[in-house]
Amino acid sequence: MKTPDSNADSSRPLAELHRGETAVIAALTEVTGFDDGLGSGAIVLARLRDLGFVAGARCEVIARMWPVGDPLVVRIGGSTFALRRAEAAAVRVTRTEAEPVARAQLAPKDTSAALA
Amino acid sequence: MDAIVAEASLRIALVGVPNCGKTALFNRLTGSRQKVANYPGVTVERREGERLAADGRALRILDLPGTYSLTPTTLDEAIARDVLLGRVADAPAPGLVVCVVDAVHLPIGLRLALEVKRLGLPMVLALNRMDVAERRGVKIDIARLATELGVPVLPTIAVKRGGADALIDAIQPSLWEGHRRVAAPGWQESSAEDAEQTQVDLRGVLAAVGYSAPQESHWMARFDSVLLHPLYGLLVLVAVMFVMFQAVFSWAEAPMDWIDAGMSWMAAATAASLPAGPLSSLLVNGVIGGAGAVLVFLPQILILFLFILALEDSGYLPRAAYLLDRMMGGVGLSGRAFIPLLSSFACAIPGIMAARTIPGWRDRLTTIMIAPLMTCSARLPVYALLISALIPAREVGPFNLQGLVLFTLYVAGIVSALVVAWVMKHFAGARQYSPLMLELPDYQWPHAGNLLLGLWERVKIFLSRVGGIILALMIVLWFLSSYPAPPEGATGPPIQYSFAGRLGAMLEYLFAPIGFNWQISIALVPGLAAREVAVGALGTVYAMSAAGDDVAGQLQPVIASTWSLATACSLLAWYVFAPQCLSTLAVVKRETNSWRYPIIMAAYLFALAYVASFITYRVVGAWA
Repeated sequence: MKTPDSNADSSRPLAELHRGETAVIAALTEVTGFDDGLGSGAIVLARLRDLGFVAGARCEVIARMWPVGDPLVVRIGGSTFALRRAEAAAVRVTRTEAEPVARAQLAPKDTSAALA
Repeated sequence: MDAIVAEASLRIALVGVPNCGKTALFNRLTGSRQKVANYPGVTVERREGERLAADGRALRILDLPGTYSLTPTTLDEAIARDVLLGRVADAPAPGLVVCVVDAVHLPIGLRLALEVKRLGLPMVLALNRMDVAERRGVKIDIARLATELGVPVLPTIAVKRGGADALIDAIQPSLWEGHRRVAAPGWQESSAEDAEQTQVDLRGVLAAVGYSAPQESHWMARFDSVLLHPLYGLLVLVAVMFVMFQAVFSWAEAPMDWIDAGMSWMAAATAASLPAGPLSSLLVNGVIGGAGAVLVFLPQILILFLFILALEDSGYLPRAAYLLDRMMGGVGLSGRAFIPLLSSFACAIPGIMAARTIPGWRDRLTTIMIAPLMTCSARLPVYALLISALIPAREVGPFNLQGLVLFTLYVAGIVSALVVAWVMKHFAGARQYSPLMLELPDYQWPHAGNLLLGLWERVKIFLSRVGGIILALMIVLWFLSSYPAPPEGATGPPIQYSFAGRLGAMLEYLFAPIGFNWQISIALVPGLAAREVAVGALGTVYAMSAAGDDVAGQLQPVIASTWSLATACSLLAWYVFAPQCLSTLAVVKRETNSWRYPIIMAAYLFALAYVASFITYRVVGAWA
């Protein structure tokens, strides 16, 4: 369904963000990998939503584990969560470096430490 | 069971997301007037306490398991929802719901509050951690929040004395009595549309109360950049574990000596004040000797739990789970299994119960099945006795040989657990994907009061074990090994003619191939109920003198002179694996709600134990 795209404004999975990158969530999407016939895919999506992974929310990847960046740690809405790649793949995000106002509101002053 | 009889309308349930300070608030409300039991049918911990309302009636306060949502992903969360809905036997729907929301992380808690509010139960909202929220520049218009939600909103600081006074004033039964106490009859799990609507509502409320997200904490970000680092984070984790186990052994030494001395004194005093005979023998050998042999390990257990509770309270444990998720995934375990498995080093029972927080039945089952392979503190008495009796305290490089052997036993447990998990992953059917999605809470200093309450709970459990099952077994064993008395002119030790002696002689056939003599075989029988009892049992079997010196101290020379090294090593190997704890099996039965898994667990552990002991006995025997 989704067309992989190199355009900066198109969405990509949260799982592809590097450490220190911020983005805005575009949508949650069904992904394969949870398929077991028991509907755990729907549960994963519902839980992601309950944790605040909703369209418009800003998030930042603050850590990724070796060797392949799985799991990763995401800061969102003032909370921090560890997600596996499989879960993070269900979250589509758009790039947002150019939104200084919203950025400042979310995390004023000392974000440099988090990124350092 | 007075809890059940209590008037339903006087029941208050605390509900909130994990890490919102709900349990600290519960402690603040109930003090030490609380007890931990289980919900019927499942061992989800049911934490209930009492507080007197202003009119003198007793309020029953229930601390529900933390949950992010009324759409559960774990057993814990399902219970929280079911209690609110009045679906749990013995736990009628509460008269009042106190929804605890962490002011620092308002959105996530408020979302749950909106969902809970829809149940239609009388509700108040406790806006907790207000002090931290203020420090971190979070802005919330509390009066506006109350109007938006249509429920009272009480700011609280659970970790501060008096920090819950506003809430205490608000939970007077007159304020909600007479209200409907049944959850909305047509309640259904949120559909996608409902969830969407809740998000819209949430955004509306957040905007209305002028919420601004907390400032990034400088030092927390620094901490995270190290503690979540793939390399430094793991190094810190290893160091923390090392310090923890080191502390268990070195800090506990002095208090263990005191307990030991105390018990010896009691035994000597008892022996001196009673005429020699069955009663004196029962008290000195059975009761004091038996209970004392176990009681002496209380300091070690407490130190281990102190570390685990402090690490948990500080917010570090979930970060360790994150670091280990990938590695543990290799053998089919979730990183979340780290916390239950770590607890299992103290005792498998809380470990197995903590596995409830693992979403996904497969992951949970695997964790439960390997939890008994973590070296629990009940094995320490046996390890300590055998190692000090038979392993020379020789230096091997910078290490002590005794320490190395002990370390090897711990490692053997961990490695075999990983192997068993791996086997289960590959041969026990299709796996359901179970998500990690783990919240890494804010770091905080562990709160001394909460730590003490947590430790006190452990002390109570341990002492009731010593006072109950262990003491009873010691008395039974004393009887079995004292009667019938040897016939006139018997030459062997009296115990050989007793019931225990005969039982041991029978068991010896089974255990001879792995090098156990009849004394060990007897001691293993009560040791089935609780591992640590075996030390006391060996003491009784070897007919220790009534002079009352500590059992372990007297046993060491006996063992050193009568057991071969191969036998001792074989017994050590046996203890790494053998399912010698009925309480553990009982908990597995309750947790899995079936006889199948405790039986499988007992069988596989016995098989492993026998094989490991057999190999150890033969190899050491051939080499030594």
